[in-house]
Parts: sequence; C-alpha cells; structure tokens
Amino acid sequence: MSAQSVEGFLARLYIDRALRDRFFDDPVAVATQAGLDRGEAEAVANLDRVGLELAADSYERKRSAHQRPRPAWVRLLHRLTST
Amino acid sequence: MSDRVGLGWRGELSASILDRLDAIDVLEVIAEDWLHTPRAEQRALRSLAAERPVILHGVALGLASSLPAEGRRLDRMARLVNLVRPLAWSEHLAFVRAGGVEIGHLAAPPRTWATIDGAVANLRRAAAVVGGLPAMENIATLIDPPASSMGEGEWTCAIVRASDSPMLLDLHNLYANALNFDVDPQGLLCAMPLEKVSMVHLSGGRWLYPRDAGPRLLDDHLHDVPDPVFGLLEALAAKAPQPLTVIIERDGDYPEFAVIVRQLERAREALTAGRSRSSPAARQAA
Repeated sequence: MSAQSVEGFLARLYIDRALRDRFFDDPVAVATQAGLDRGEAEAVANLDRVGLELAADSYERKRSAHQRPRPAWVRLLHRLTST
Repeated sequence: MSDRVGLGWRGELSASILDRLDAIDVLEVIAEDWLHTPRAEQRALRSLAAERPVILHGVALGLASSLPAEGRRLDRMARLVNLVRPLAWSEHLAFVRAGGVEIGHLAAPPRTWATIDGAVANLRRAAAVVGGLPAMENIATLIDPPASSMGEGEWTCAIVRASDSPMLLDLHNLYANALNFDVDPQGLLCAMPLEKVSMVHLSGGRWLYPRDAGPRLLDDHLHDVPDPVFGLLEALAAKAPQPLTVIIERDGDYPEFAVIVRQLERAREALTAGRSRSSPAARQAA
C-alpha cells in the first residue's frame, strides 16, 4: 500500500500544477498531507524540480495529442489492404 | 532466424510503407490504436500482418507498478493478439496511472523492490491472460525517479530476469537517460540484461534548455536517429549473439520516405558491423 501511495502522489504531481507549486513550497508537509509517511515524504522531497516540470509538460502535450479526433488513415489502411 | 529491421506503422506513412515493403522486414503497430476499432478495421490489421510480420506495441497497460494491471485492459489486448496473431507483443517498464489519476503517458516509477515485485506479478498475469509475455521496453525519463533505491540497469535486470520476459531495448531512451543523468551510454548499455534483448527501438529527439539547469534530451520521435544511437546498435550487435528485431520509430515531422529507408539501411549496416566484430556464435546467429 505504501509504494502505491508514492506512485499515486507522483501521478498527481505530474498532472496538477497547483499541487506542484505547493509541494515545492513545503515538500515534506504536502507529501505527508497526501498520505505518505515521513520516510516516503522525505524520499520524494528532494526530487528534481526542473525534471518534474519538464516531464509534466511532456505528459500534458501527450494527453492533448490523444484527444485529437481519430485519423482517417485507419480507413486508408482498410482500403489498401482490402484490394 | 536472422536479424530483422523494420518500422513503426504510422497512418501518415501508410501509403509509403505499403509501396516500399521490400525495404521493411517487420512492422510495429501501436496496439491501443486498434483496441476500440470495429472488427472490420481490425481484420485490415490482420491483412497487414499477412503481408509482413507485425509486432503489437502496447502503451497503456502500466505494467511496471506496484498496482495491479487492469483486467479489462489485459482482456482487450488478449482479444487483439488473438485476432492479429502478431510475431510478438511488447509493453513498457512504466506506470501510466495511480491513485485514480491517468498520467497520459509513460512515467518512470520509483526503482524499488516494490515496483519490481509489482511488475513481475503484472507480467505473470499478462502472460496468463494474453497468452505470452510481452517484450518489456526501457523508457526515457526527464526526471530521475524519486524514492528510488537502485539504478536503472539493476532495476531493469531484476524485472526482466525474474519474469523471464524478453526485452525491447530502446537505444535512444537509453542514450537520453545516460546523457540526462550523467552516465556513460556504453556503461548503461552494459548494465542492461543484454542476453534478454530480442527487440530494439531506434528514434530521435531534441535538446531542451530549461532555465537554471543544464540541457536535457527529450525523446520525441520527431527527429532522425542520431549517429551515437547507431553506434549503440553496433555495440549491442557485437555483445548480443541472439537475433535482433530493430524498429525505427517516427511519430511526426516526417521527412521524405527515402530518408527513413536510408535509416533502415543504416540500422542494417550497424548490425552487420557489430556482428563482424563479435564472437563466432554471434555471427552464426545473425
């Protein structure tokens, strides 16, 4: 359960900018409020802010790309492979 | 069996791919593009698999996690695998959701025994549901996963060897992680379970220049494969005697298709060069 809490907290950090801002103001307090024990909170407290922001930005772009309408190329493949 | 070199199927490239199948030994298809399509479209994929061997590449199972993989997602993958009968299927050493949150892409979990145990359990379940183990791919990460107790090589070896999964070694992901976290790429290559590698990904990326920090290499699949990554392929071919299936991934900013064909040729050249300086057993396997 504990490892799952850490993964859940990291997932929230990746998608929630406001949480990231609060976290970097007081990492251990925000992590313990999220349910991590003291050891887990200290383990995530020193994470690399630049890396986290770059990763979060990258994931946001991916989520946006996934929301695009289904491309017509699937029908193209169907036509090409049916002939 | 010999080494194979192929390409990731992308709709934008479909006409060119079908026109130049002579240059392509194998195609890799993103499984999630097909999980929710009508049966008729899935049968088109089966027709494609009759033209060239197809590998189904999953991106959304989130198997490298202390959380159990979702049964309904495994069931859908199993149905597609059963219909298409691919050469193999693959997934990532990543988590993509946790605590009710969808991250939307492949994220590196903490490298701990908890995620190793979770990944091995997920792989056993995936094998039981889908009918075979996926090849597991190392991912690129812009952040050194926090709360980790071991490095990428040790963590990857532990999962792949304990689960007996084949490995899909993404050499650009490896290259990017090495440069971003100040590790020698050749050293990181040697730290991987090379005896388990059956597939290889090659791709490109670009440098990001954040304020107040050094540059980081983003694996974006929008650029040509850089020379050092072909060098890593040559080194891998020299060290790993088993046959390798090499896939070039390109997700956008597509060049003329001849440029992609040339990269396929360069991959073959790197394999040949690596095999030529490897042991007799490796040369025989290739």
